[in-house]
Amino acid sequence: MVGRLVSAAPLRSVALPSVGSSRVRWVGVGIAVLLALLLPVRLAPAQDAASGEAIYRAWCLECHGAEGRGDGPAAERMLPRPRDFVGARYQIRTTASGELPTDDDLMRVMRDGLPGTAMPGWPNLGDQEKRDVLAFVKSLSPFFERETPEVLQRSADPGGGADRAGAGREAYGTLECARCHGEHGRGDGRSAPTLEDWRGFPVRAADLSEPWLFNGGMGADAIHTRFLTGMDGTPMPSNQDALEAGVVTEEDLWNLAHYVAGLGPAKAPELEEVVRVERREQLPGGPADAAWDDLPSFYFPLVGQIVQAPRQFAPTVDGVWVKGVHDGAELALRIEWNDPSNSPDPGWQEWQDKIAAALYSDGAPIPAEPLPDLLGVQFPMTPPDGRARPYFLMGDRRKPVYLWLWHSRRGAVEGRATGLGTTEVVDSGAGLTASAEWEAGRWRVVFRRPLADDDDGVLSFSEGDPIPIAFFAWDGSSGETGTRGSISAWYFVGLQPPTSNAVFVAPLVAFLVTGGLGMFAVRRAQKSYRG
Amino acid sequence: MSRAGSYLRHPFWQALGVLVGSYLLFKFGIGYVLPAIGVHSAPVPSSVLLQYMLTVVVALLLYVSTNEGRWSKFKEPLRQVMVDSDKRALRVVLLVALPLLVGFLTYGRVRADVGAPASLRSIHPAPPNQITFRGETISLTGLENPLREHGSFEEHLAVGATVYVQNCMPCHGDRLDGEGPAAHALNPVPANFTDNGTISQLTESYVFWRIATGGRGLPVEGAPWNSAMPAWEDLLTVDEIWAVTLFIYERSGSTPRTWEESSEGEGH
Ligand code: HEC
Ligand code: HEC
Ligand code: HEC
Repeated sequence: MVGRLVSAAPLRSVALPSVGSSRVRWVGVGIAVLLALLLPVRLAPAQDAASGEAIYRAWCLECHGAEGRGDGPAAERMLPRPRDFVGARYQIRTTASGELPTDDDLMRVMRDGLPGTAMPGWPNLGDQEKRDVLAFVKSLSPFFERETPEVLQRSADPGGGADRAGAGREAYGTLECARCHGEHGRGDGRSAPTLEDWRGFPVRAADLSEPWLFNGGMGADAIHTRFLTGMDGTPMPSNQDALEAGVVTEEDLWNLAHYVAGLGPAKAPELEEVVRVERREQLPGGPADAAWDDLPSFYFPLVGQIVQAPRQFAPTVDGVWVKGVHDGAELALRIEWNDPSNSPDPGWQEWQDKIAAALYSDGAPIPAEPLPDLLGVQFPMTPPDGRARPYFLMGDRRKPVYLWLWHSRRGAVEGRATGLGTTEVVDSGAGLTASAEWEAGRWRVVFRRPLADDDDGVLSFSEGDPIPIAFFAWDGSSGETGTRGSISAWYFVGLQPPTSNAVFVAPLVAFLVTGGLGMFAVRRAQKSYRG
Repeated sequence: MSRAGSYLRHPFWQALGVLVGSYLLFKFGIGYVLPAIGVHSAPVPSSVLLQYMLTVVVALLLYVSTNEGRWSKFKEPLRQVMVDSDKRALRVVLLVALPLLVGFLTYGRVRADVGAPASLRSIHPAPPNQITFRGETISLTGLENPLREHGSFEEHLAVGATVYVQNCMPCHGDRLDGEGPAAHALNPVPANFTDNGTISQLTESYVFWRIATGGRGLPVEGAPWNSAMPAWEDLLTVDEIWAVTLFIYERSGSTPRTWEESSEGEGH
């Protein structure tokens, strides 16, 4: 908008005074010449903003809104909401708290997007196009005209990475990071249920054990920048003051950055399709048994259920970690996921209402009472014959699914479903048991069931053929129930057969036969050529 | 030059070159290079690769053995390795290394491991002749997008854009490249409309069918049980579906296949 004001308008107003006396005319000409000299300089950003406006209308308007207020037609299905460019509170900056971002900061967001939110990167726009659209975005707020942002001077990473992590735990306490992020950084701090952004929308304290979803990228340097500059518009504070007041030293802050970086993996977990269930002499006990530790862990991403109404566009649970083990008679699966609330919890009631108001605008009934956390593990009723399986969202009437349903207060039952929201409890007598533990923002549930079942109607697990498996999770404190929750695609559980020595026989035979044939061929060749 | 040239003209090294070249072509050329230059294709499964390579070996043996001179020249390097006394060290190394390699490959095959079964699906199965849309029968044969004939194109496009960002964006992405924020957790992944292997191969009636009935409307060869594509007849009106169809073609810069083109054969 500012872009349009700057363009042709001033010229015409200058031409008018020339009607009067010759002196006025000369002054007019003088101003016109001056303006003409200034024009290329003034016009450069204006042109950018004009072509940027077209790009904005094509690619950004639907989320960020016609006037840039973050209220486009798609906005109300997102949390966090798209940025309000008029309010101009930016999160990913290298500048001090309360300041505007630099052009480089904005270009970074355009390149990488904001992971963990709906804001994508824009590889389809060239550098000039990115600059143009940013010029337009900046023109939407009066602040960019007035201020020139400056990069906040930070000390350089002294290195020493993981060694510093231990010492960093201290600053995590001094600076009260746990108040929002929780003891282990899983976003379950005591203030977490009360957090909201500057527009009053509920905002989650980031889960520091899932750094691949950090808005500003992972790694100690990015983290250091975030907690020194703060994330304006959100409760995430700047700690520059604490540094300047001597509450913490530069050293402490780098220790802290490495500590936080060590709370999660160094890169995003890779997706494997099969949970490899190893065979052991003895099954581990409860969820925290150390016997789980050396078993391989498999990550499966979950997303909001947006296939059938009512939908959940911004769910709490974004993935599960699965471990499996069997002893030839029984199968144990441990499913672990992060959820900052142990629901139902009246302490999160206000949060539940705020999420419902911000996100559930589809008119479907919104439960007002505190809800439990739930987990569903889905299998076909029988091992699939050929490719066909039940529909991945709880099957359908022709092909139902077999479920393990876990409830945060009532434990686990077996169930059956013929579509989303149709689960019914069936006690097949297969002997499913579960033990669960919620600790500092993380659920761990161990399911145990005998492998085989004499009853023909119930799925038997056998070694060899992988069996389809899918996961569903509901966070009660975010009002998730029924079809509103997180879902996964079909994956597999595969029970490893016992490794017998037989597997070494075939390779040995192959080695000996090939070697023998080789020797024989060489002998023959030597004989015939010498002879 | 002469040394390299003599290698190039030698039937043994020629055969080896062809063997390695065709392996690289099958392994990487078909699956990765072709898509990179915009030709639709997929990696060759390992069982098929083995078949291709066997065919190449047989063809090469036939070629070198048809001419007596070429055959003895071909055997020459083999003979040297097996007989010559100055090649003794190489001979020993090969006699140990080759059987080891074979043993190792065999181990890889027999080792107990549970892999995911291949999930094959037909991406564009034949559409039905007619569908029921919320109980109403719509014939697909010869069906055109009515919005291209009636009303304001710009207005339809604006409706389509809103329907798209509110409903399709989380999966198919703002850039229409199938990389929306929910896409990483779905299998099969949402269609990439900017790829010339998707909607530009289809008539608008086919796209209407896919949007209206979603994953559950697919026939068995389309693996309907895996598709997260919603059945939009539950949530959108007929006009909204036509508007979003218009939008995905317009925004991705592709054009629908016409009925004339599709009756010329090929099918979907
Ligand atoms: C699919 C919706 C969507 C689209 C389309 C979109 N954005 Fe965003 N954008 C968001 C959301 C959501 C946020 C805020 C995320 C948060 O608060 O963590 C955001 C934030 C931003 C920010 C703020 C970054 C910061 O440091 O705070 C900028 C700048 C931005 N978008 C620019 C653009 C531009 C330019 C375009 C068009 C090329 C665009 N966006 C298109 C959803 C979108
Ligand atoms: C008052 C509550 C609060 C406190 C105290 C707090 N944070 Fe945060 N933090 C947040 C919120 C809320 C977010 C998420 C902001 C968003 O994504 O919109 C966040 C996000 C983050 C992120 C993710 C950055 C990114 O790129 O997405 C990191 C890392 C982080 N905080 C570290 C810390 C550290 C270290 C401390 C202690 C020095 C701390 N926080 C103290 C509320 C807090
Ligand atoms: C929950 C995720 C999801 C949403 C939301 C979604 N789709 Fe899809 N869509 C998919 C997936 C996955 C596929 C690929 C599998 C298939 O063909 O069924 C697909 C396939 C398609 C195809 C078939 C393309 C081809 O080449 O065969 C069309 C057309 C399509 N989607 C249009 C839309 C439209 C229009 C919307 C919004 C009204 C939409 N989709 C919303 C997931 C989604």
